[in-house]
Amino acid sequence: MFRAPRLVAFLVICFCVAQAPAGRPGTLQTEFSLAGEWIVKSSAINGQTHSPRGLTLGFPDRDMLFEQQGDLRTGIVLREDVGQNVKPLGVWRVMGDQFSTTFQLWCPGDNGPCGSIVMRGRFVRDDKISGTMTAFFDLPDNSNPTGYDTWTFSFVGNRVATGATGGSN
Amino acid sequence: MISNASGFCRRLVSALTAGALLFVLMPSALAGNELKGLWTLRITIPESPTSATSRTFTVTMDVSPRGDSLHGRANITDQSGNTVGVAWRQVGKNVSIAYELPCPGDGPCASLIMLGKVKGGGLLIKKGSVIVVWDTPNDRNPSLFDTANGSFRGDRLQ
Repeated sequence: MFRAPRLVAFLVICFCVAQAPAGRPGTLQTEFSLAGEWIVKSSAINGQTHSPRGLTLGFPDRDMLFEQQGDLRTGIVLREDVGQNVKPLGVWRVMGDQFSTTFQLWCPGDNGPCGSIVMRGRFVRDDKISGTMTAFFDLPDNSNPTGYDTWTFSFVGNRVATGATGGSN
Repeated sequence: MISNASGFCRRLVSALTAGALLFVLMPSALAGNELKGLWTLRITIPESPTSATSRTFTVTMDVSPRGDSLHGRANITDQSGNTVGVAWRQVGKNVSIAYELPCPGDGPCASLIMLGKVKGGGLLIKKGSVIVVWDTPNDRNPSLFDTANGSFRGDRLQ
């Protein structure tokens, strides 16, 4: 009489235990990393193609290479299309599924304003990122909270599969 | 008259020798205004995105030569021993130093962009300004994140 409920309870417990390690992979913690090569496409937000002071970087696809050696996380933008030695440098960090990178702009001329880029985004998947880039130009702009000319646009990035040759632009 | 001239020569030679020794003993004298070398940076930024109180901390920055490149790399080590990478650029005396704060705890983290001028024959960076980009989103800020300003000073160690 009492055996059937006990058997059912036992089977339910077994089922739960068996399902626990394999079930719901989405809840498992995934350690994301930017390390690797990414093709990043950018686009304007609300049609803003220039900074308030009229500066722009355009919207070229960016071939970005990120590396990690211990706690040192470095990045480089491959721009062989512009010049052999054109390699803007940056750094990065990851917090859960969010990341932040900071790059210096490449400004060969001494005359025009230069600047720095802060990328903020998240991992959509291990091989896909999206977020915003903000250019902080070395140009005073008192209408901006930082006091510098600032321009923000959005980006989407796809990891270049290992072994594939990523084209630079 | 002759003894006066001789004394002047001796003093001139001594002065030149002292100058040459000083030049040789100070590598920075050869560095000019180049950022490469070892620096201590004293950085003052707000404690958090919402705080009106500032905090000042000191880091050591080891700057690698950049060769012919416009950009260079460096490492920054804080007082807790955390070391992170840095990307920098320099045109003339003007330098821009960018890095991600090491944030081991749960507190607000940020990216720092430090702008300054190398002065004193390459020995110091005075009255440098800092752009702080916090991790906290803010739709009303043009960068879409909270920002703040800070200051920094750099003193060459080597």
